[in-house]
Amino acid sequence: MSGRDRDRATGAGGVAETGGEPRIGRREAALRISQAALAGAAVAGGAAFFAGRATASADAPAVPDWRVQAAGPAARVHAARGDDPARNVRRVLAALGGMEAFVRKGDLVLVKPNVGWDRLPEQAANTDPQVVAEIVRACRAAGAGKVVVADLSCNDPQRCFARSGIRAAAEEAGAEVLDARQLRMVPASIPGSAAGLEVFEPLLRAARVINVPVAKHHGLSRATLGMKNWFGVLGKGRSRLHQDIDRTVAELGAVFRPTLTVIDATRVLLGNGPQGGSLDDVRAVGAVCAGVDPVLCEAWGAAQLSLRPSDLGFIGEAERRGLGKSDVALVRELGKA
Amino acid sequence: MSGTRLIRILWQGTFLVLFLGLLAALAAGDPRAFRSGIFHEADPLSASSLAVADGGFPVALLLGAALLLLTLVFGRFFCGWICPLGTLQQLSSWLLTPRSRRESLEVNRLRPWHAWKYALLAFLLALALLGSTQTGLLDPLSLAARGLASGVWPALFRRPAVPGGILAALLLLAVLLASRWVPRFFCRALCPLGALLGVFGRFALFRIDRGKITCTDCRLCTFACQGGDEPLGTHRPGECMVCLACLDSCPEHALRYRFVAAQPARPARPDLGRRVLVGSALLGVAAGPLLRASGGGREEAHPRLVRPPGAVGEDEFLDRCVKCLLCGATCPTGAIQPALAVAGVEGFWTPVVVPRRGGCEFACTRCGEVCPTGAILPLTAARKTGYDGAPPVRIGTAFLDRGRCLPWANQIPCIVCEEMCPTDPKAITVAAVEERRADGTAVRLQQPRVEPVRCVGCGICENRCPVGEEAAIRVSSVGETRNPLNRMVLGS
Repeated sequence: MSGRDRDRATGAGGVAETGGEPRIGRREAALRISQAALAGAAVAGGAAFFAGRATASADAPAVPDWRVQAAGPAARVHAARGDDPARNVRRVLAALGGMEAFVRKGDLVLVKPNVGWDRLPEQAANTDPQVVAEIVRACRAAGAGKVVVADLSCNDPQRCFARSGIRAAAEEAGAEVLDARQLRMVPASIPGSAAGLEVFEPLLRAARVINVPVAKHHGLSRATLGMKNWFGVLGKGRSRLHQDIDRTVAELGAVFRPTLTVIDATRVLLGNGPQGGSLDDVRAVGAVCAGVDPVLCEAWGAAQLSLRPSDLGFIGEAERRGLGKSDVALVRELGKA
Repeated sequence: MSGTRLIRILWQGTFLVLFLGLLAALAAGDPRAFRSGIFHEADPLSASSLAVADGGFPVALLLGAALLLLTLVFGRFFCGWICPLGTLQQLSSWLLTPRSRRESLEVNRLRPWHAWKYALLAFLLALALLGSTQTGLLDPLSLAARGLASGVWPALFRRPAVPGGILAALLLLAVLLASRWVPRFFCRALCPLGALLGVFGRFALFRIDRGKITCTDCRLCTFACQGGDEPLGTHRPGECMVCLACLDSCPEHALRYRFVAAQPARPARPDLGRRVLVGSALLGVAAGPLLRASGGGREEAHPRLVRPPGAVGEDEFLDRCVKCLLCGATCPTGAIQPALAVAGVEGFWTPVVVPRRGGCEFACTRCGEVCPTGAILPLTAARKTGYDGAPPVRIGTAFLDRGRCLPWANQIPCIVCEEMCPTDPKAITVAAVEERRADGTAVRLQQPRVEPVRCVGCGICENRCPVGEEAAIRVSSVGETRNPLNRMVLGS
């Protein structure tokens, strides 16, 4: 018996022949089935991979309007001053009638701070972590189903969220914190100059959105406040918007209509903005304002930087578009505590 | 399944998972949490090449020497039990190929081409002697890490494609595919690390020992032999990967893996003529100057040859870099890419910073922390940024292209580069001017300028510049800390 015959007789070689009929052994069958399954999975995976790459189409979802009907004190803008940022937040929210006036039970609330830079809170380039955490706590207490804190940073997102202290503070307060590495970008239908840019996905799913910028200097627009903070929900290509910044910032203010704007002026950056670095450019103001009128919040934020609303082209532009009023006298100052 | 086989598979699986897990953890987060480069630090091939090229033993690679000593005792257990690329090949060979027993016997015989790897090793070490470490091209640990981290990873997780990385992934796939025809073809024929271990494994104290009385010459031991080392005939400990498959397949239990006190008078040599070996080494000696003549950064600095922060001078860098691309795997912005042509033929697959892909994070020092061979030295954030008082670590200088810059060339307002510049004070400043457009309207522009002494070359300006494909501000290597001859400003 030759080696070949022995192999055939034992059937170890896979395809065994008996009486001229080729028959497939169990091992061979299992192998062929798994090969076919692998090939199928590869094709399906490839198809899914490329299907997911579909470009922004005309039927991209519109950006929702997150505003709520507000009347009485809830419709005003309040500002509180004091050394404890969390307490300032509690006071302005109390003056607005509590977070319950804005957040319903079970809502998905998106909190959008400015976490743009790999800087410490003392450098005032990002929103103060205590302000963010206190807003998260208020949303949780008001019964929000889930609170998401998200931003698309300019520097490495991991570093920005760690050094700003926002990841630790917001997670401790009960939020889900998402940075660029976790955020999926999706097409959205945005009118105006930002058309075609993508936004991060939780934004379109959120029932309520709270914009929590920090007030600081900006080399082009002179100041970056609430409406400029929407740059942080936009993906690749957003740097083009700088070419006509007063108009594009006001346009973003018309597209993204938050439930509430909270301007953090715990510390403000007066030079080398928006990323700063030197403590010489930082001034401790110790104030926070909040309200449903984003333009009025913007005007109040400008005042904390010693600027008049008329100094900032985008405020006038936004007022002309009817997005709010810019008369700082309308802000109700709650005083120092 | 026998106990030995199960233990070996568990062992291989553990190391494979560890290798992949460390790579994934590296890509995901803080490299300090794990000893990410541990596999590469234990690589005796890198250790030998660096020792020869650099003229001193690389302390970081001490584990590599330990592995050589262990090989002297136990043989090439690394290949059969630890090497992730070996495990992957074994896996692909098992998955892709149903072989008859006869085919297995045929394919697992010792072949003359098993000796190629020794010629390759001689070639690579001779090349290293001339100061060019090229072992990383085929070192299984570098090959696997590079292919996975810069090729497979970006493809799977939809990161932007890495041209050099795709080639690295293709090489990895080719190695795995080759096992379809010959199990562990790469290990048997090409692996320079396997060759180095084989040189030492020949003298192994523990080896396969055949009881000549019980053996019936049935040849079943060759059925699953990984090394193709003829456990039946003149066993070659230098080729044996200590997979111990032969022990299980022997129906007579005639084979043992044990301490063999009486070494054969002359260890069975790898079948390689002395002439071929000397020839390969001479080829390596000749190839060194040829590689250098191909250009690259040794003689003259290349504008786009921007190395990661902490990289040593180009001569030393090419001595030390084993092309594992762990630096690229850990880079948070994806700035570090395997070079194609920018570093010359010699520098193929060495890491370069590509600012258009990602800026070098101002205070990030990850790449130096993971580099296993000291081609990129570890830095502290204070040292890198210059916050400790000394000048910061520069990797290049940004230059404005006024012909493309929006405020300079097109009267369109923009300050993105200035806004992004992380130094304090900023290296990019803007000067405001009032200009008149062709239609007579006035426009206020802020025109950027670079202060070269403050610029660290991080390239975030180039990365974020809104001018499409080619940015209007670009980093070139001049001013880099690592090369005192590549300078521009007097006194810097």
